[in-house]
Amino acid sequence: MKAGTRTGLVALLLLWSLGPMLWQLYTSLRTPEALLAGAGGLAGGWTLANYGAVLGSDPPFWRYLLNSTVVGALSTLLTLALAIPCAYALSRRGGLLRLLVGGGLLAAAVFPYVLLFLALLQVARQLGLANNLLALCLPYAGLQLPLAVLLLQAAFAELPPELEESALLEGFSLWQRLRWILLPLMGPAVVSTGLLVFLFSWNEFPIALTWISRSELLTLAPAMARIAGSSVYTVPYGAFAAATVLGSVPLLALLLLFQRQIVAGLTQGAIKG
Amino acid sequence: MTHTSDPATATATAKEHTTATSLRLEGLCRRIGGRPILDGINLEVAAGECLALLGPSGCGKSTVLRVIAGLDPCDGGRILLDGRDISQQKPARRRVAMVFQSYALYPHLSVERNLSLGMELRGVDPEQRERELAAVLELLQLSALRRRRPSELSGGQRQRVALARALLRKPQLMLLDEPMSNLDAQLREELRPQLRTILCGGRAPAIYVTHDQQEAMGIADRIAVLQEGRLQQCGTPQELYQHPANLFVAGFIGRPQINLLPQGDGTVVGIRPEHLRAVDEGGLAVRVRSREWHGASQLLLLESAQGPLRWTCDGNQTLGDDLRLGWERRHEHRFEQASGERC
Repeated sequence: MKAGTRTGLVALLLLWSLGPMLWQLYTSLRTPEALLAGAGGLAGGWTLANYGAVLGSDPPFWRYLLNSTVVGALSTLLTLALAIPCAYALSRRGGLLRLLVGGGLLAAAVFPYVLLFLALLQVARQLGLANNLLALCLPYAGLQLPLAVLLLQAAFAELPPELEESALLEGFSLWQRLRWILLPLMGPAVVSTGLLVFLFSWNEFPIALTWISRSELLTLAPAMARIAGSSVYTVPYGAFAAATVLGSVPLLALLLLFQRQIVAGLTQGAIKG
Repeated sequence: MTHTSDPATATATAKEHTTATSLRLEGLCRRIGGRPILDGINLEVAAGECLALLGPSGCGKSTVLRVIAGLDPCDGGRILLDGRDISQQKPARRRVAMVFQSYALYPHLSVERNLSLGMELRGVDPEQRERELAAVLELLQLSALRRRRPSELSGGQRQRVALARALLRKPQLMLLDEPMSNLDAQLREELRPQLRTILCGGRAPAIYVTHDQQEAMGIADRIAVLQEGRLQQCGTPQELYQHPANLFVAGFIGRPQINLLPQGDGTVVGIRPEHLRAVDEGGLAVRVRSREWHGASQLLLLESAQGPLRWTCDGNQTLGDDLRLGWERRHEHRFEQASGERC
């Protein structure tokens, strides 16, 4: 392939995936008039008022960001705390048991969770978990557990067994082997699995919508839906776009922070160390 | 930090690490899916002795180590360390150290941490930790490398770190699984005497697994030959060479390989290539097929009425293509053809 063609293809792909985001950014910085007038020129019509409106509303937008961050972080920690021991045990088991449990986990991981949300709502009502922000972690961690166990199990299985055997003969306990030998070597896998869980809980809509009704407890997804539907007569494009941009900033920061681990996690097993 | 500058003192310190013990295997068995991998192994290794387990690949020699260490279950028999049966003990409690073929160094830790982490988690106090670390680094000439990661070390250096870590465990038994197979031939030869000094002379018994008979003979006090999960013979290198117990050992030990001549009366005569002599009359009529030069000697591949023969003779000898060969009676090994046992 010629260098020119390659550059062109890469540019096209970038435009395809980044286009919608750039459009949101553009929309968030325009006045309603400029947006509706269409091709009125780029000279005028720029504003930060949309951000002001979103941040100044009641409750302010940062409240939703905080709620989502708390739920996301707790779900991630809970999932990892449960998934790491499960994955370890599964990777150290052979034969039929691993096949059956692995198959069951795979089935659970690919099951469309949207079908569950009515049943989950019943559960929340029965247990009095409605309008409890932290309770959201329970379904989130539960739903992401199968995938997390499968990913981490593969990562455990990839570590050479002699490493753990060597630690075992040195007298390390199970916990010490995990803490000092296995987990430090699984950094990339743990980080990318954790990020997947965090992203899921950040984006999750149906459960958050049905479990939470008090506006100061809303997470990002239902809060944005509220902004979009706040007026019967107009669609607040600008405010909605500003909320989207603000909602993606923490994710972007997170991805940049863990960039190296994510790439290493995704390509794990591709090359022998 | 105390530096031991005298290597002899360092060796002595390392030797104090171990207590004098002996190992005894009684009818050791290991089965996988009903198939015997180890079939009643009996062995004894004295304190301070280094025993080589020698055999072709797949003969079960690594499995012996894994069962002794407790990494694989023991399906029968007993493992007696100083008279105490450890066959059902947890691996961590057996006080057995193992050097793996791949070295199994912790890749995320520096040499220093690789060595001290175990002591730290076993609760050795910091002062003693530092003292023992310095002694073993000195002994294995690793002091300059203590801050490096395993990936920044050469094969020989990694092997020394693995050995150092095993010594710091102060094991009652030292197990080495082909520790030199990842090194090039020259380095192997250089390291052999060093390894021998450290292993034989310690107070714990050592078992050294290898498929290389040169290495086994160079390092071990005694060699145990294993084939298909069974112990074929155990003895000093000379014993194995001069009195092979059966056809397998005769054929396995010694290069170039022994000549085996079926006699027609149900026995096989074995005669080493270097024991053949050219004779004027009598003996065996042979014809030269090809020659290999080995410097001081030459190896002739011959054809006879009783099958092909190998003959090692003086490299300067000029020979015709048709010869007669004989040998002295005392160099002859005689085996039963059916059982393979020595007569």
